[in-house]
Amino acid sequence: MNSPAAGTRAAQAASAATAPAAKRLTRNTLLTLVRREFWEHRVLWMAPLAVAGLLLLCALPAHVHLDMIDAAQWRDPDHNAAVFALAQWGLAAPHFLVMAIVLSFYLLDCLYAERRDRSILFWKSLPVSDGVTVGSKLLVALGVVPLGVFGVALVTNLLFTGIWNIRASIGHSDALVLWDTVTWLKAEAAIALLLIVSMLWYAPLAAYLLPVVAPIVERLAFGTHYSGRLISYRMHGSWAALSLPHAFEHSFSQAGHGRLMSASALLDGLNVPAAFANIDLWLGLLAAGAFAFAAARVRRYRDDG
Amino acid sequence: MTQVIEARGLNKSYGALRALQDLSFTVEPGRIVGLIGPNGAGKTTALKAILGLTRFEGQLQVLGRDPHSQRDALMQEVCFIADVAVLPRWLRVSQAVDFVAGVHPRFDRACAEEFLRKTDIRMRSRVRELSKGMVTQLHLALILAIDARLLVLDEPTLGLDLLYRRQFYDTLLGDYFDKERTILLTTHQVEEVENLLTDVIFISRGRVVLQSSVEALAGRFMQLTVNPEQAARARELKPFYQREVFGRIAMFFEGRSASELESLGEIRTPSIADLFVAKMQEIAA
Repeated sequence: MNSPAAGTRAAQAASAATAPAAKRLTRNTLLTLVRREFWEHRVLWMAPLAVAGLLLLCALPAHVHLDMIDAAQWRDPDHNAAVFALAQWGLAAPHFLVMAIVLSFYLLDCLYAERRDRSILFWKSLPVSDGVTVGSKLLVALGVVPLGVFGVALVTNLLFTGIWNIRASIGHSDALVLWDTVTWLKAEAAIALLLIVSMLWYAPLAAYLLPVVAPIVERLAFGTHYSGRLISYRMHGSWAALSLPHAFEHSFSQAGHGRLMSASALLDGLNVPAAFANIDLWLGLLAAGAFAFAAARVRRYRDDG
Repeated sequence: MTQVIEARGLNKSYGALRALQDLSFTVEPGRIVGLIGPNGAGKTTALKAILGLTRFEGQLQVLGRDPHSQRDALMQEVCFIADVAVLPRWLRVSQAVDFVAGVHPRFDRACAEEFLRKTDIRMRSRVRELSKGMVTQLHLALILAIDARLLVLDEPTLGLDLLYRRQFYDTLLGDYFDKERTILLTTHQVEEVENLLTDVIFISRGRVVLQSSVEALAGRFMQLTVNPEQAARARELKPFYQREVFGRIAMFFEGRSASELESLGEIRTPSIADLFVAKMQEIAA
């Protein structure tokens, strides 16, 4: 007969052997759940590619020559760097605008669609917890899609700039050939920072799908607008938390001409530590966790009869 | 012997409607059990409780686990087909196989692909492009490739034509069932599964009316068909249900021996479908 100690050692060994397998399975499960979201909601990957395609289509027929603009201005490197940074941000903006619209609809639909077509009974016949399922949807909305859109926007910007520069060269307007590696890196870093803080900031909205339902209910029931104000705060609070308005002002004053902005100055002006030290960001994440937990419980126990 | 399912005093209400009322039954391993009842009897609610899909009062153990609190672990050993309409219509066949392979530790992808190769289903097809029979085949391919100990089927062949219904049950018996596995199924088409079942549980108004192995039914129940002139004598033996069949009277007895009845008319073991109707009418009377 095995001694208790030997039994414990065997159990520990078995536990140690199964732990990596369980970890691998959880990773596979999460990856599979994320893939499922992109199979079901194809707009998540099609929309960014469509925006990229449209932007690049706009770049192709553009006429690039110096006669169009004030030639002297375009020989100023500071001016060109500022225009280059603005162009990067301007080209990225449609991507993130479309992403916000797509994700709003996605979040409203993702837990409802499976009940509408009764496929929830198929998904629930498999050994995946409701918490992991709801978590995978939030991961898609707050992590995978923003990261993917950032990547698509970055590549689009590079291609657009490449097309612009080729056309400028062909048009013998070398002054319009725009490229500044440091400015490009800083412009993209500013976009990435804003994106990360915004996604953390928007987490409670994403988790509760508050934007549509709560203000209407509150207005009808109590005639007040507190949730509307809260949404408004959560929508643009991240800009204030990052000191974005101040950074914009700062970037203009540092350009020296009072009319140009510098990507370096903008990046320097962003207050990243303050954004992460802001209690409202962490309270929002706590609320996001609570809403996600509630969503998982509803998915787990709601009985449609 | 450890029971696969052990239910004691299950209760569940939807508002004023009591879907389950002190429902108690057991299911042993290696059996094919038919949970049979009229519409609204509580069959689906009982299955939902077994699968941890709904809250309930009472004691319930499935494979030694509490389906309410240990559902995720339980679903590694339990499969279910609610009905063929629940596979999402946007899903491709290949994606269905990829998904189950990605989340289920007991899924054998090669087995599912081998099964699908024998059908007309193409891996690139979407569920919405398949006929209802093909969707059933796909669902079955996914389920059969899972090494589960308990398979729960809730009206799995509803809406299918006869060929697909027959094919479904043939596959289930031929490719899936063995002494290590247990199948619990509900269906309205009792005649089609009665040769398949090893046990029956009749349920009405949330209560178990009858639980028995099919073998034991033969010794316990008897159907006697008599001419009208023998009816009075036969009624003295207290049939629990009787009905007229082409001018003769069919009577159903519980606990009577063949020797008591054979002098009155023709005797036989009632079919499960006839017995089900008889028991339901007895309750309604």
